[in-house]
Amino acid sequence: MGDKIKKGILYLALIILALACLLPFVLMIVNATRSGAEISQSFTFIPSTHLKENWVRLFDYFNVFKGMWNSLLVSVPATLLGVYFPAMTAYGLAIYKFRGNKLIFGSILVFMMIPGQLSLIGFYQLCTKLHLVNSYIPLTIPAIAAAGTIFFLRQYILSSVPMSLVEAARIDGANELYTFHRIIIPIIAPGMATMGIMAFIGNWNNYLLPMIILNKNDKFTLPVMMATLRASLDIQANQGAIYLAVALSVIPILLVFTIFSRYIISSISAGAVKG
Amino acid sequence: MKFKRLMAIAMAGAMTLSMAACGSSSEGGATGNSSNGAAAAGGDDTLVVWTLASDLKDFGERYQEKTGVTVETVVIEPADYPTKVQTALMGGESEPDIIVGEPQMLEDFYDNGFFADLDEMGAKDYEGQIVDYVWKVGQDSEGIQRAISYQITPAGFYYRRDIAQEVFGTDDPEEIGKLFADYDTILQTAQTLKDAGYRIFASDAETSYFSGDSAWVVDGKLNVNDARFAYMDLVIDLYQKDLTAYANQWSTPWYQAMSGEVPILTAEIQNYEDDSVNVWDAESFAEATADLEKTTVFAFGLPSWGVLTMRDNVGETSGKWGVCSGPAYGFGGGTYIGISSLSEKKDLAWDFVKFCTLDEETADWWIEFSEGDTVSLISALDKHKDDANEIYGGEKLYSFWLDQAQGIDYSKVTKYDKVINDAWGAAISSIKTGQASRDEALTTFYDTVESTYPEIQVTR
Repeated sequence: MGDKIKKGILYLALIILALACLLPFVLMIVNATRSGAEISQSFTFIPSTHLKENWVRLFDYFNVFKGMWNSLLVSVPATLLGVYFPAMTAYGLAIYKFRGNKLIFGSILVFMMIPGQLSLIGFYQLCTKLHLVNSYIPLTIPAIAAAGTIFFLRQYILSSVPMSLVEAARIDGANELYTFHRIIIPIIAPGMATMGIMAFIGNWNNYLLPMIILNKNDKFTLPVMMATLRASLDIQANQGAIYLAVALSVIPILLVFTIFSRYIISSISAGAVKG
Repeated sequence: MKFKRLMAIAMAGAMTLSMAACGSSSEGGATGNSSNGAAAAGGDDTLVVWTLASDLKDFGERYQEKTGVTVETVVIEPADYPTKVQTALMGGESEPDIIVGEPQMLEDFYDNGFFADLDEMGAKDYEGQIVDYVWKVGQDSEGIQRAISYQITPAGFYYRRDIAQEVFGTDDPEEIGKLFADYDTILQTAQTLKDAGYRIFASDAETSYFSGDSAWVVDGKLNVNDARFAYMDLVIDLYQKDLTAYANQWSTPWYQAMSGEVPILTAEIQNYEDDSVNVWDAESFAEATADLEKTTVFAFGLPSWGVLTMRDNVGETSGKWGVCSGPAYGFGGGTYIGISSLSEKKDLAWDFVKFCTLDEETADWWIEFSEGDTVSLISALDKHKDDANEIYGGEKLYSFWLDQAQGIDYSKVTKYDKVINDAWGAAISSIKTGQASRDEALTTFYDTVESTYPEIQVTR
């Protein structure tokens, strides 16, 4: 009996927490169906009838799907690069013993602490000289050097990859790259997926750098497009359209999350070394 | 193998998603922004406009219609606009031909050499065709023309004619303007209105556009003159003597006051110390304030673009409003158009600037298209000087704004204004609500200015 009460309280607490997490999303979706005047006047969970109006207004300013496509073109490569190469680096730093290992790791840690915004003008100058303004290369390739991911994955490898596993692979004649691809990646995949989800969300929502690097309307990523809704004189009337845009922009993140979060769970339960 | 299967699912997911995105984008592209597509395709004859106000998009489309030159307008969010322009132009970007700025950004842009010299293009020939203060705001410290605005934004008081008639026996803008002639008179007017059962303002921030008739910084020194303190006293008195409706500017009750009766809030509600009243929600607001005394608000102080704000919100009181002058000349906002110093198409860009600001036909079109924005071209204002605006009781607003604009002293604008005004406003509100004593608040104010702008000399 006491157990049941305890469980009941626990479930109640969890339900409340879940609601607290979900309500803002529901509100956002409801607001996407309301007009600007309604939004600024009151707050409700009952959807209104202005979805179509907001949709038309939104697409009057820009094409959301074009923005999504552009955002995908940036965030998918940036995420893949930003997980694969750091995983390789982390593996090297964790498993190989060589002179300067500590120094390299130390310098990576130091770079982790420098905010990227500081070098914005210099970065832009570099991009102009290399004729990379208005291209997605400055937004994707530098993702390879993800200091934070390297740090995280190195610690992850140290704790989850036993040296004996690598040795076993070597004895069986696997070369180093093969070992990394076939043995290490499956083990550290939960870590990679975690960092991947974070990187994807980060890249998808990245605003400052695309805003600076991209100068053409048809190259703008979604967050940059959405910000332009606030440049209009009709800010109040645009409220509904802004909510609609935000609601639409969250869909890909939710998709990625549902696909990869399942993977985090399934991999954690799988053991690598038996006995 | 689980990993492979997962990757396969992920890839398939990404592909379907992108295909869906593709399909819809080609569909939407045809109906949506066709002008952008055309602009991207155009080569040498494209003019690139970077703007923070979507107004220029309309100007761009109009220019394209008239001349056949493709105009590519890139709209950037106002808050990030300076960052974007600074990074790009310091990085040597030659893509934008037209860049714009609001008054408080302009001085930085001038100092960094972002704007091309318009005098070289022949701007001098047009001197006198544009309202004087706008022309001067567009000049750098050496008097070289760098930017021109298509609009003027002088401030005035929007007042209720019916209340004026009842309380003061006249609704003539000239006579009512005398009731706002200086800070003491405003206090008196406020008291008279309160005795008659009305409130002069909805918020105590209505006089802010008229707050200073001197520059904040003179010769590198912070300049807080008596008028600033008089303004401070006025705001504190309005608040403490219970002369406003205690609404906050731009909040729901403030908008509601434009169309009729509003409850008189208490100081606690205005400061949101009492969360029982949600001032952003019309229904719950009406419920929570049902017992409070109601009043009708007499006046709002806004720049000329307030004509549009009021129009959208006055509701049934349309036609009962008038506009009169305030205690000082003031202005707020405005978009200034200039040519990027790195542009490779300066001649074309100059043509565009002339088209937007100096062309009477464009000004006519803009007055109609924007439904009442106030242009800066004197000949257009002259032409429309007899236009009666029915929302404002048939008042001839264009000639009124022209008069107001001619009184504005451009020289008091500095690049420090935004920060210093905010700090001064914060000092005033902490004094009026009793959070800090006058001395404490002033010390905080001086500290803020000193730490934000070390180059300014502060004498306390």
